[in-house]
Amino acid sequence: MNLAGPLAGVRIIEMGQLIAIPWAMKMLADMGAQVIRLESCQRLESYRGDALYKNETEGEFWNRGANFYEHNRNKLGITLDLTNAAGMEILKELVSVSDVFAENFTPRAIRNFHLEYEDLRRVKPDIVMVSSTGYGFTGPWANFGATGPATEGASGLVYMTGYADGPPVLPEIPYTDYTAAEQTVFAVMTALMHRLRTGQGQFVDISQTQAASATVPEALLDFAANGRTEPRIGNGDSGMAPHGCYPCLGDDRWITIAVNNDEQWRAFCGVIDQPSWSEDRRFKDSLNRWRHRVELDELIGQVTSGWDAHKLMQELQAAGVAAGAVLDSKDLLFNPHLLERGFFEVVAHHPSTGIPPLPYVGRPWKMSLTPPVPAKAGPIMGEHNQLVLSELLGRSAADLASLEEAGVIGYAPTNPRPVSRPSLDEQVRQGRMQRYETDFREQVARVFPPPNDT
Amino acid sequence: MPAKALDGVKVLDLTHHIAGPWCTKLLADYGADVLKVERPEGDPARGMPPFYHDEIDQDKSLLFLYLNTCKRGITLNLKTLQGRRMFRELLQDVDLLVENFSPRVMASLDLDFESLLELNPSLVMVSISNFGQTGPYRDYRAADIVEYAMGGLMYIFGNYDREPLKHALHQAQFKGGTDAASAALMALYHQRLTGQGQHVDVSIQEAMASGLRDVVDNYTYTGAIRRRQPNHSGDLTRLRATSDGYILPNPGIGARDNWQATVEFLEVPELDDERFSSPSARLANAEELGRILDETFQTKNKSNMFFAAHDKRFIYGIVQSPEEVLADPQFAARGYFVDIEHPATGTVKYPGPPFLMSGTPWGPAKPAPLLGQDNQEVFGERLGYTNDEMSRLRSIGVI
Repeated sequence: MNLAGPLAGVRIIEMGQLIAIPWAMKMLADMGAQVIRLESCQRLESYRGDALYKNETEGEFWNRGANFYEHNRNKLGITLDLTNAAGMEILKELVSVSDVFAENFTPRAIRNFHLEYEDLRRVKPDIVMVSSTGYGFTGPWANFGATGPATEGASGLVYMTGYADGPPVLPEIPYTDYTAAEQTVFAVMTALMHRLRTGQGQFVDISQTQAASATVPEALLDFAANGRTEPRIGNGDSGMAPHGCYPCLGDDRWITIAVNNDEQWRAFCGVIDQPSWSEDRRFKDSLNRWRHRVELDELIGQVTSGWDAHKLMQELQAAGVAAGAVLDSKDLLFNPHLLERGFFEVVAHHPSTGIPPLPYVGRPWKMSLTPPVPAKAGPIMGEHNQLVLSELLGRSAADLASLEEAGVIGYAPTNPRPVSRPSLDEQVRQGRMQRYETDFREQVARVFPPPNDT
Repeated sequence: MPAKALDGVKVLDLTHHIAGPWCTKLLADYGADVLKVERPEGDPARGMPPFYHDEIDQDKSLLFLYLNTCKRGITLNLKTLQGRRMFRELLQDVDLLVENFSPRVMASLDLDFESLLELNPSLVMVSISNFGQTGPYRDYRAADIVEYAMGGLMYIFGNYDREPLKHALHQAQFKGGTDAASAALMALYHQRLTGQGQHVDVSIQEAMASGLRDVVDNYTYTGAIRRRQPNHSGDLTRLRATSDGYILPNPGIGARDNWQATVEFLEVPELDDERFSSPSARLANAEELGRILDETFQTKNKSNMFFAAHDKRFIYGIVQSPEEVLADPQFAARGYFVDIEHPATGTVKYPGPPFLMSGTPWGPAKPAPLLGQDNQEVFGERLGYTNDEMSRLRSIGVI
């Protein structure tokens, strides 16, 4: 076992925000890269000010944001005012001792800061620079700011998605930020493999829209080759029937089922005790089931609504039919399969935050020889100013004091403004939350004891 | 030809369907030498729609053609002893083996990682599966919709009062494949430094679950369980229908304080009213606000509105159909769509590089292999089988 991770020795300077770059750099940090995340006290990262622990907005709320911790595990954090020449000098020094510089600002901002690849190359000739932008670093839309929904919309994915009788529908997370972030991990590794072999750095220009379009080739090629655009089909499939999401016992409980062939169809009819369906001419083979899929979905829904979703899933799977209960967030966290695989990792927080050790999502891969590094929470603001500036760059204590005095580094936002969310009762009343539980801390701690408490 | 980033990486590709081939396509398009091994009847993705000109043919599935660019292709029946012998010969000088069979298949063929490592001590093997190589759901079956359900995204996706929804097409498979490609390169990076091989277990369920914002954390931080959101018609960032499609408005964080800017941009004096001027007033009058916004957007052209918004640095998004994506000037300026000529279809425009590398270009893209296209070269020239032997192997169904 190599406990330093496969990427030990790789140093990355991250000027990221929100998801697209931070998620990708978190994955690299988990696997042993040293990631130094830059933040600004003058322009607070939005994820520090929202989704706060226990919804409490007072005190040092910026060290209690769920979305920040979710995307910044295992990183070192420093604050730096890049509008100040001394701050910029520190950034350039950091780049000069690093392997990768990664950012997701607009090209306009990067040009204004003189942080383009050509600028960095003068400081570190073999640097790999990674820019992740909504539409790409070049081209007529280069400077258009973008959100996840915007890139999902531009990519073609939103247009294809939605119920059969309605408008396009988007998921309630910035989905394509993650699509792009996943491809960014691959892009960084591709550039690092090349650099390992040749010693050469380069500029990697990630368009979040292009990354997303690369995952909808069926639709794009159907138009390119056949001039056709298929209508939205909800949870349907172009060949399988039944294929959908059906109601189960309980409040807002559902199961997904996908039947791929006649053998699975007969097994399905057996499990739900509808032997007559497998004899029914309308449903006798794949093609007929697909033609009569609307009637079929209706009939199935009537039967599944008498079943517990997990029990039906287990019975269908035992009979060889693909089926999955629709897991809500609590189901997912306490899912026995993910628990056995150790997918969620318990992370201890800085004592000043008052946040107990909590489980966070891990990674979709397990490596037999090089496990991830022991998980550490994302940094509180300025947590590693001293470590990075003194130990890595050799700045003196007096230097640090004068940098702090001048506001180049700091430990708190200069203009703190938390997002205040409505009370949980109000959120449930508005329908934004399904429900809430007051003993969640005990429930979580029971299943996920603190790391040194086992 | 200019150097490619993954030059010198040799991959044996035992994958089929979508997740595995997407993983090895990423590697191949950026320069890895990928040899795709198909069963003699071919990758089942050769039978997946859409087909070129709707001609159902093993070389005309557009999805298959896309997923297998830049790879060479051979056929081999791993259910035969001879097929496995030839597979082991091929394995000896590769860096990476990628497979996405059900978890117990490789072991049942005596091709488990431990025995393969004896043949090739620095082998990296990546196994992609629906739920991973361990755990109670290991042998569960899945389709994309099941991964959406079990990965946590589906429950919060769709209309408040309807069944949960998934994305169109095969997003879960693509996520799993991308993550597998990343993990493969991490393991190869370690291999290049130390000479050590290892086994990488990639789960598509975990690929879905690892990319969720404020879902599990909403519970661990506050005890609340998110659900599909009610349809707040007054939500300023809700998707709206325009005269010619759909747009994703986003007046930016500033709109909370500067309602006037939004009113002026939308050119609706009626909105300049205290019923709408603060967030709480807008919530109280959401239905009325929604009605006015719906009517307003219906009169607009989405492209004009998109560009006008960006002039003001409002980060609006535009919903593009596949036809519009193909005609998009931004994609064109970046050379995104590339012509690839395949013997069965002629030239077709394919989506190209997801990202651009300044020193090591993507492409030029080579078409997906015909079934068994490189048998002669690989078995004959590389492994040294004679033509007679190869005809015999063919007649007994090994290749």
